[in-house]
Amino acid sequence: MDDYQYKHRGRFAQTFIYLGKLFRMFLFQNDWKVLPMAAIIAGLVCFTVGANNFKTMEGTIMGTFALACICVWNGFFNSIQVICRERAILKREHRAGLHISAYIASHMIYQCVLCLLQVVISVFVCLFMKMSLPEQSLVTPWPLVDFGITMFLVTYAADMLALLVSALSRTTTTAMTVMPFLLIVQLLFSGGYFSVPEDAMFITNLTATKWGQTALCAQGDYNSLPMVSVWNSALKMSNLEVEGEKPLLETFRYIEENQLRDELLMKSGELNQKQEYNFDSEIVLTCWRWLVFWIVVYVALAIILLEFIDKDKR
Amino acid sequence: MISLFINDGVFNFQDVIGIIRYILVTIGYFFIFKKCGVRKIFAFVPVAREYNIALCADKEKEGRTYSVLNAIGYVITILMRIFGAYNKVVLFLSIPMLGILVANYIYMIKIYLGLCKIFNRRKLWLLGFGFFEALTVFIWGVSKSFVPSKIYEDHRKKDAAKTLGHDIEAIDEGLTVNITDRTVIDFFKKKTLLKDIHMTIPKGHMVLLLGGSGAGKTTYLNAVTGYEKANANIKLDQMDIYKEYSKMKYNIGFVPQQDLVRGNDTVLNTITDSALMRLPVEASVMERENRIARMLDQFGLESVKHNLVEKLSGGQRKRLSIAMEFISNPDLFILDEPDSGLDGVVARNLFVSLRDIADSGKIVVVITHTPDRVIDLFDDVIVLAKDANRTGRLAWYGPVKEAYEFFGKNSMEEILLTINQKDEGGEGRADEFVEKYADRIKEKVG
Repeated sequence: MDDYQYKHRGRFAQTFIYLGKLFRMFLFQNDWKVLPMAAIIAGLVCFTVGANNFKTMEGTIMGTFALACICVWNGFFNSIQVICRERAILKREHRAGLHISAYIASHMIYQCVLCLLQVVISVFVCLFMKMSLPEQSLVTPWPLVDFGITMFLVTYAADMLALLVSALSRTTTTAMTVMPFLLIVQLLFSGGYFSVPEDAMFITNLTATKWGQTALCAQGDYNSLPMVSVWNSALKMSNLEVEGEKPLLETFRYIEENQLRDELLMKSGELNQKQEYNFDSEIVLTCWRWLVFWIVVYVALAIILLEFIDKDKR
Repeated sequence: MISLFINDGVFNFQDVIGIIRYILVTIGYFFIFKKCGVRKIFAFVPVAREYNIALCADKEKEGRTYSVLNAIGYVITILMRIFGAYNKVVLFLSIPMLGILVANYIYMIKIYLGLCKIFNRRKLWLLGFGFFEALTVFIWGVSKSFVPSKIYEDHRKKDAAKTLGHDIEAIDEGLTVNITDRTVIDFFKKKTLLKDIHMTIPKGHMVLLLGGSGAGKTTYLNAVTGYEKANANIKLDQMDIYKEYSKMKYNIGFVPQQDLVRGNDTVLNTITDSALMRLPVEASVMERENRIARMLDQFGLESVKHNLVEKLSGGQRKRLSIAMEFISNPDLFILDEPDSGLDGVVARNLFVSLRDIADSGKIVVVITHTPDRVIDLFDDVIVLAKDANRTGRLAWYGPVKEAYEFFGKNSMEEILLTINQKDEGGEGRADEFVEKYADRIKEKVG
């Protein structure tokens, strides 16, 4: 009967046992493949939308949206299958004394490292591809660190959402079926790139892309950038003839000759500023808080759901 | 099904059609339920009637999804009525509603297809159910020419074998099992999975757990180990497993049927992690290392300890799975089909090592579907059988040789055939032996 007086390892110790297991899996189970994948995706995004990112308003909206999307993509792929693929094993281990909170905590730490590495790789690729990045800092003294923190939080929030889906799904097939739906929600309801009806705007708060894009736009001082779309559209009509003359062409010539173009583009931007993208540290911090809030919610839900794993039918 | 709309409190033509349609379906269902032996009253209960029509069609599983879909559909319909003035809300709700309707229609077809089969009617009737559901259901219900070939059987209502009715005394050294019953609520229905199981297993015994499919073997093991608690009193050496489960679970080893081990880790790391998880914190590093080395040696894994688990053979993987549980040196050791997928020689060797474990003073309980090739290694056999109510009952617990005499058979497989239900190819004598065994125990314990 003395046997029952012994203590067994608690949550803290179990977390590190599983962390060791996860890092071994990183090597043995080819989890490392997500790192080169992050580099390739970042490279593709820089190649397609990197030229005007943080240079013009339109380019910034497109570029920051694309950056938020690669973060969400990376996060989703990191952990969408990690729990459901070993659900039966987890059930057995839970039966033998594993604490679900320790299991999730080990995943949180492991995924945190993975997300950090992916962000470092992505930022490095952005620099290598000569994509302009925010030049002024808002929260920390280093603009690149501010930018990296936003990228990390978006990736990690998406990662934890995928972890929740993985905890909810009984099979990898289910998880992989749910993932595209979540991805579409993240893209469509970001609220920055695609316009969402006013009544449905509250849904945008659910998406990591919204908070990521908003923070990145604020960090990139979106409201101080020129707007070029009006100019480009007008330029296409420069040869328009009115009573045998081309008044628009004359105007454009005048603007160019007097070097007024940049002033005009800046004026155009000034008239299209968005308050939510102000160069303000409070905006960035609010975005970060929201992302952290969702991370906590996803993790808490994942733990609660997995506590019921013993109820899984055979 | 989900189509009873009444707009703005005023009945328009569409509403009247909807109401007539609903009444026709209700009448039709009422008579179909009567013909099929399902409770007629459910024809009037939304959601429940969708489940019960599936019972008539012998599509119980589909019926669950169908009724849940209907329930969600009704909720969305009500919400649409409440927020009818807000176009955007209605529009937003119509997105899931559309999905529900499509899924609902698919399940409806599946169920009516089953109904056609049960009523021996051509599949062409599906067109009737699909396009004129209310009228078709009504005709099938009221017309006497539509007769089902199979009546729904509610096994819960049958008379089952009598019970022992009281607990037996706990033993000082060993396992005492007194299960009154183990019930679950399954889709609003109470199901008794196990009932009236009483026994004492002394230490050092290796026990075979025998029973047909669905007889409750795994439920019994889960109840005994405290993993899924039953209305029971389970004691290991006078210690109540249910009350002390959090402490005692480390003294109970359970090896599942499948090899639930991560393939992409080495044998040594896997077993080391098990040791860290299962051994007490007080165990020194030396003790732990010794225990790991002993397990590797005892289960023949020393030569492959640096290999990845996925590279092991079926037998090696099974032995690893056992070693992971046995590392904590549990007093009660339970194995669910440890020989599945193993050939005769490998399986025999595995059972010999289990016999060694039992001989070291442990209780070993094993489920196997090929008992006769290793029956000489067992001390006792537990025979679980499904009674007339489809509840798992104890038909025998005792020495192997006495079991042969009790059932009048020469092998475990023959015993299994005797107790299995007739629709499973057996002799359907489970209730007879359950009663006979209960009488025998009553004589013994008084």
